[in-house]
Amino acid sequence: MRNRSLWIGFLLALGLGLSIALTQQQEVDPYKEAERQRELFRQTAGILPGELYAAQGEELFYQKRGPKQASLEACDFGLGPGKLEGALTQLPRYFADTRRVEDLETRIVSCMVRLQGFKPEEIKREDVKALTAYVASKSSEMPINVVPKTSQEIALYNLGRELWYHRAGDRDMNCAICHDAYAGGRVRLSPVRSPRQGLSNEWPAYRFEADKLYTLQDRIAFCYESIGIAAPEFYSEPYIALSIYMLAEATKGKNKFTELPGFTR
Amino acid sequence: MKKRYTLGLLAVLLAGLTLSQPSPFQQRVQQAIQNGGSRFAESMKQDPDQALCSQYRDKLPPELVGAFLERQRALIKYPADGKLMGDWKKGEELFTNPRKGNCYACHTGDPREPGAGRMGPGLVNYGQRGTSEAVVKYTYDKIYNAWATMPCSLMYRAGYHGILTPEETAHVTAFLLDPASPVNAKR
Ligand code: HEC
Ligand code: HEC
Repeated sequence: MRNRSLWIGFLLALGLGLSIALTQQQEVDPYKEAERQRELFRQTAGILPGELYAAQGEELFYQKRGPKQASLEACDFGLGPGKLEGALTQLPRYFADTRRVEDLETRIVSCMVRLQGFKPEEIKREDVKALTAYVASKSSEMPINVVPKTSQEIALYNLGRELWYHRAGDRDMNCAICHDAYAGGRVRLSPVRSPRQGLSNEWPAYRFEADKLYTLQDRIAFCYESIGIAAPEFYSEPYIALSIYMLAEATKGKNKFTELPGFTR
Repeated sequence: MKKRYTLGLLAVLLAGLTLSQPSPFQQRVQQAIQNGGSRFAESMKQDPDQALCSQYRDKLPPELVGAFLERQRALIKYPADGKLMGDWKKGEELFTNPRKGNCYACHTGDPREPGAGRMGPGLVNYGQRGTSEAVVKYTYDKIYNAWATMPCSLMYRAGYHGILTPEETAHVTAFLLDPASPVNAKR
């Protein structure tokens, strides 16, 4: 455990160096650059940062933790207790036990509360991120399969679509401006995709420019901040609504997840 | 001018009135936004025309366009000295600064700027249109309030939101129109 944290520290420092080198070059193709950075990690460290987070998450998953001294093996992500293979492909979805629609991150939190006895405010964001990386790694490169069916899922999808078009803030922005009106184009040097083109199919991912693991909630928060809107609190409804909207659209576009955890800029 | 303003105001009030009786779905949207926490809810608050653009997915039906443009035009303020073209050098700094105009996010300008976005029309050689009163006013108005000429434009209303003051808007106008600006340099 201790060793692993050291490793992550070292790799993160390395990552920072690489991304500084990157910002000094102009007009690089961001996808080729991500590929190059990924290879560098493979060669110098033999392992990708996302894999380290997933390994950390795996330890947390099987450890007996919390007031109830339980592991998360009984956590049902929608395919049955402990079934992780492909679990992310059908999330967010409705869960009868909590009577709400949950994405992977919220589901991990509710399992930590119900199975391990943690109080929500005791749960560390870093633990949830590592666990997200681990569970997601079991859906690597699988087809996305989010099809809202229950009334609750359809309601959240509709809410997500509404938030998608909600123009606000002193930059008068909404998600659609960049990700629909402008999909296929570039904001500065960044290419932008629409949900139908598979937007949101690479998370959780290690972002070498930020040098951190980002979950889908982190990535959505980042876009909100960049348009001058304070990000929602983690695990709140806006994230789940936007995620089910984007992933259901990505499903219609017949998209797959990338390697998970992803490796991106 | 005065009359136009009151008309505009009336329309805003009316739009506000219809919005103040939200549908059950709109109430549910508000509930979801509240669920995101108070800071998020605060920054997701909309003015009536932002709400209208959201409702129509940024494509207003033709019958709403006239009143919309009228309301937005009424929001434009001009510099006290009436000069709509200021100092292009100050304008260049404002055009570039991500916390101010951030115009390169969507437009080309000085062609030497490497990472210019292409979401808006290119503005290299924008000054070719000359500096007639009409061109200057059109440009000033566009920058101060992009929605006064194009309902629900992707381009934000920099002056209306106070990102650029009227004087600063005049500087940016000069950056686009002044023959000495790098936007219009002979190449
Ligand atoms: C001003 C433009 C802009 C706005 C507005 C915007 N985004 Fe983004 N978004 C981007 C850019 C640029 C990227 C980075 C693309 C890259 O680097 O590959 C991005 C990336 C993303 C990604 C991850 C990229 C991927 O391929 O999976 C997600 C998810 C996302 N945005 C969701 C949203 C949501 C939800 C909203 C509204 C709350 C939003 N964005 C608003 C510009 C924007
Ligand atoms: C989010 C993208 C975006 C940003 C940021 C933006 N614009 Fe625009 N701009 C557009 C789009 C799209 C249009 C075309 C539609 C319209 O007229 O509103 C446009 C139109 C214009 C026009 C009219 C062009 C013509 O040929 O008539 C001018 C002038 C202009 N922008 C200047 C600016 C300036 C100056 C800034 C910064 C203060 C700025 N823009 C910021 C997207 C943007």
